[in-house]
Amino acid sequence: MRIVLVRRKKPLKYGGLVVALLSLLSGIFVFTIFAWLIGVNPYPVVETIVTTFIFPGVVKDFIILTLLGYALLIAFKGALWNIGAEGQMHMAFLASIYITLIVFFTTEKSLPFYISIGVILLSIVAAVAAGALWGGLAGVIKAYAGVDEVPVTLILNYIAYFIGDILVYGPFRGTYVYGYARTDLIPDPYKLSIPVQRQLSGNALIDTVTGYIVEFATYAVWIVALILVLIFTYWLLNKSNIGLRIKILGSNPDYLVSLGYDVRKTTVLTFMLSGAIAGLTAALYYHGSLYRIEYPLEYNTASYGYLAILVAWLSMLDVYLVPLSAYIVSAVILGSQRVSSLPSVREAFIRLQLGGAEMAFKLLMFGSILLAYSILRFIQDYELKVVS
Amino acid sequence: MSSPLLSVANITKTFPGGVVALDEVSMDFHPGEFTVILGENGAGKSTLVKIMYGIYTPDKGSIILKGREVEIKSSLDAIKKGIVMVSQIPQLIDRLTVVENISLSLTRIGMFETMTRVRRFFKEVGEKIGIKVNPDAKVWSLTYTQKQLIEITRAILLDAMVLILDEALTYLPLEERRKFYVYLNEFKEKGRSVILITHKIPEALEIADKIYVLRRGKLVGALDKASANVDKIRDLMFGETAKTITYERFTKPYETPVGDIVLNIKNLVVEGDYGEIAVNNVSLSVRAGEIIGIAGVVGNGQRELLEAIVGLRRVREGRVIIDNHDVTNKGVKLTRESGVGFIPDQPLRYAVSADNNIVENVAALFSRKNLVVNWKSMRELSEKLINEYCIYPPRPEIHVKLLSGGNIMKTVVSRELEYASKALIAYNPTRGLDEATSTFVRGKIKEKAVNSKLAVLFASEDLDEVLQLSDSLYVMNRGVLYGPFDPVSTPRSKIEELMVV
Amino acid sequence: MIPQLDYIIDKILPAFVTFYLVSLGHSIFEKSGILNLAIDGVFFTGTGAALLGAILPIIYNIPISPPVMGVLVATLIAAILGLFMSSVLTFLPISHGAVGLSLQFFSYGVGIMLGYYVRLAYGTIYGVSFAREDVIYLSIVSLVIGVVLHLLIERTKIGAAIRAVGENPHSAAALGVRVMAIRIVAGMIGFALIGFGGALFILSWQRSWDVKLFTLGYGWLAFATALAAGRHPIVLIPVSLLFGGLVNSQTDIQSRLGIPADVAKLTPFLAALALMLTYSTTRLRRIFASPSSLGKPYYKEEKSI
Repeated sequence: MRIVLVRRKKPLKYGGLVVALLSLLSGIFVFTIFAWLIGVNPYPVVETIVTTFIFPGVVKDFIILTLLGYALLIAFKGALWNIGAEGQMHMAFLASIYITLIVFFTTEKSLPFYISIGVILLSIVAAVAAGALWGGLAGVIKAYAGVDEVPVTLILNYIAYFIGDILVYGPFRGTYVYGYARTDLIPDPYKLSIPVQRQLSGNALIDTVTGYIVEFATYAVWIVALILVLIFTYWLLNKSNIGLRIKILGSNPDYLVSLGYDVRKTTVLTFMLSGAIAGLTAALYYHGSLYRIEYPLEYNTASYGYLAILVAWLSMLDVYLVPLSAYIVSAVILGSQRVSSLPSVREAFIRLQLGGAEMAFKLLMFGSILLAYSILRFIQDYELKVVS
Repeated sequence: MSSPLLSVANITKTFPGGVVALDEVSMDFHPGEFTVILGENGAGKSTLVKIMYGIYTPDKGSIILKGREVEIKSSLDAIKKGIVMVSQIPQLIDRLTVVENISLSLTRIGMFETMTRVRRFFKEVGEKIGIKVNPDAKVWSLTYTQKQLIEITRAILLDAMVLILDEALTYLPLEERRKFYVYLNEFKEKGRSVILITHKIPEALEIADKIYVLRRGKLVGALDKASANVDKIRDLMFGETAKTITYERFTKPYETPVGDIVLNIKNLVVEGDYGEIAVNNVSLSVRAGEIIGIAGVVGNGQRELLEAIVGLRRVREGRVIIDNHDVTNKGVKLTRESGVGFIPDQPLRYAVSADNNIVENVAALFSRKNLVVNWKSMRELSEKLINEYCIYPPRPEIHVKLLSGGNIMKTVVSRELEYASKALIAYNPTRGLDEATSTFVRGKIKEKAVNSKLAVLFASEDLDEVLQLSDSLYVMNRGVLYGPFDPVSTPRSKIEELMVV
Repeated sequence: MIPQLDYIIDKILPAFVTFYLVSLGHSIFEKSGILNLAIDGVFFTGTGAALLGAILPIIYNIPISPPVMGVLVATLIAAILGLFMSSVLTFLPISHGAVGLSLQFFSYGVGIMLGYYVRLAYGTIYGVSFAREDVIYLSIVSLVIGVVLHLLIERTKIGAAIRAVGENPHSAAALGVRVMAIRIVAGMIGFALIGFGGALFILSWQRSWDVKLFTLGYGWLAFATALAAGRHPIVLIPVSLLFGGLVNSQTDIQSRLGIPADVAKLTPFLAALALMLTYSTTRLRRIFASPSSLGKPYYKEEKSI
């Protein structure tokens, strides 16, 4: 009697969905276990996570992660593991900051419409270029030197952080800020968020709905960009020759070579596209929410670049599922953070003197879902059989 | 007749995709006997022995060793039970030395032991069967024959009760095979059993005491030496399709006139994977409508030569000229765009994208220049190819990885033959295909050469295939090209002689 | 004491020992064919686990020296992670990179949980860490481990088995190697050494712990050095010395050359990148080749054409 792994005769129907669901549940389960281990009652933990699905605060993360999800989708389709979205975003931040704070700095509260738009567009273009270049750098190293892109993109992330740190401490240092090492706030004319006000009605349902509306309105510009990126990605992967090349690169690069395509150029191009979208996201984030970056740099992006990996995987690399996946990931991760503000958790923290370890919670949740997913993937194409 | 040493009873095995590899197969293997399992590619012989060697698990059926039913959980388990297998492709690890490879199989060598004792064992056996190989040589530096010799040495050292040879000698010339038969007789004398798998009838008749014939997963015949002859076996192996199979030539060499030189190779020197010289000053030319075949045992530089011509491998010296354009080291793109089709060895690895469907695989080749793919015409083309070559299942959207090996091969061959407008470069174009399809493919190649004036250069480890298809043939040995020879008038023994060192 | 000797003991040796053990463990792990993208996570978990282990003798009155206990606990927990990762990746044909990366993030979380408690409860780690001169003995121990492992891998059957599994697990299995067992052995020893290195990072080099430690990225520096040195236990000695010195002398380099702190922090990463580039574009790549099946999912019943 033993357990044997066999290939399925046909891939499991809806296998991807099953795996994604199971991974989410496993992740939440592991997370709850950890909470329980430090003496927190599991019920409020699960409740918090579930209620975050209808929590307006999710919208902002959702949009960012969808955009980044598409950025990574393109790379992942080519089996290029772009773990460097963080670094690509940081370089993009630096480009945008340069445009808005150095070149076109102003203390005016408002400027003529065409100047505002012009600067914003220029900033976005610069950010996209920076992201594309930083991604392209990783692509070049992978394509022409053959180094595995995961450690390369990771190390490039670190290098990007340090470059940012150097600049923020140096030439980009805010002149209107005292004591902190950070850049100035972005000038008002360049902000991309729409200030929307609302009254709390007291009714939970109405408040939630209005909350969502407010969020969508505030980030309306981001949503426009999102739709554009969606259309672009769909067209790229399903209609164009480049998309086909990327898919074959991901499936069998040897075949791509024997067809006569330049694998190296395709690799670099894919990375540049991926980095470009990451750069776009960074620009939107900076203009619409972040408004400034501070030192040290790692915490500015709340690890969006890494979370996007989960988004891309959970979407089973399907263009249509990326937004759904992004929503789920945003909800779950935000949920884990809200858990750390629960009274019982706070109490446990104090008791165990774990105060400040919210980061651990986020990492555990993220890590366990990712881990569960990467292991459970086998269910799609393989099954376990008991053989006598 | 003594009782069987090893038996298999009612073995059944199905693979994903619904392919029934084996259907209630039962066989007996007696001590002191050479048993040959004969069957064409896809008949299930390889699957059967892999089950006996613990690599596959049967869905149904049992294995009986020395009268007791046993379960073979892994190769290590099989070795422990006295069953040793040598495959067509040596299972040795290239980067390790000879003795290191052998030590991995010997349970009497401890985990923390060095190679001293193994070296001694190896030398002892080596002297007996006459191998002259440095025990500390890295395996990648050895020839195919030497590697197979080491595999046999390993089997002897493992004191195998049952030795299985899975097409291990099929692609060696007759003289080389005869050397192996001498050592294999040792096994017979000692009362062991030798099982030989092959799809070549002459090879089976060379040494068999008993022949089992498999067809499409079923046992269709059991003959002993006295009653075995070629015709009977052909009928058993192929049934009705025997009529479509032939190793007869389609035409006489150069029966249809050939045109100008399309492919011109001059003094080519190419390096192999480990830095050694794989192709040593090779020159040849192929004209429009001409089919040139290169015969040779695997590992003598054919793969490297063809890869260099297509542009997949760097040319150290010499020139590759296609249609009067020098394409040496200018990359695959230029070569392909000159209208060259390419069927590589191991098409699953190099010639398809398994996660994509047939249309996408076709589009990748045909839709090179456009920004946007014309999916409609690609789909139509795919359907045409599916019909012409009887690719099953006949759906263009099906992912290639769900196709059987033979159908994947058909996808590649059809695509490349359709695409090739000037020349076709191929290595083992019918490997893994059943005989009927192989004949069909060879016919198609011949047809294209004659009708479209395609220049065809192919290499094959199957000498019969080279003899059938070529107008002129060469032999490649240790990177050196010998020839040209006329496939009809040159005696086969002379060609086989050249294939060996 | 001679000032140069002081410098070596305080600056060079602790960094060397950490980097050497981590890259050595990583090398052994990867020699069996499993890609290790969890290196930084395992390293960090080692640091947290070491802290936990170091205070156990104090709480429970165990007669073992606290830093030694710290090393034991870190090594044990790391070995368990190694067992998990190697067995899962050999049993299931799934992506090594995906599992490794996930495990990295997960281990960051685990490490924070383990270390934070100790950090807050006990504040300073000086009392439970290694004495200053102990680093000499630790260096000797690591060198001995390195030499022993090298001989094991190059000269013995088990070493041949590990290499065989890394080159081609299918052939190795056909030759009679127990692939799962070998991978687990290499996996546990490999990660145990990484944990050991992580423990020494806290108990012999830094002697302080902080949540932010998980963003240091030293595991990736070790990854790069192991790659360039061909995962060779002996070649890793000078390379680890170099990197250890580079990393630990940042403040000195900074003050001597008058460059900002962040630039100095940048240097090891640039060096790592440069190292990887040099490796990949020169003959080094062939001499110090990676195992052929590194990172390839392993499925026992593959059907080939």
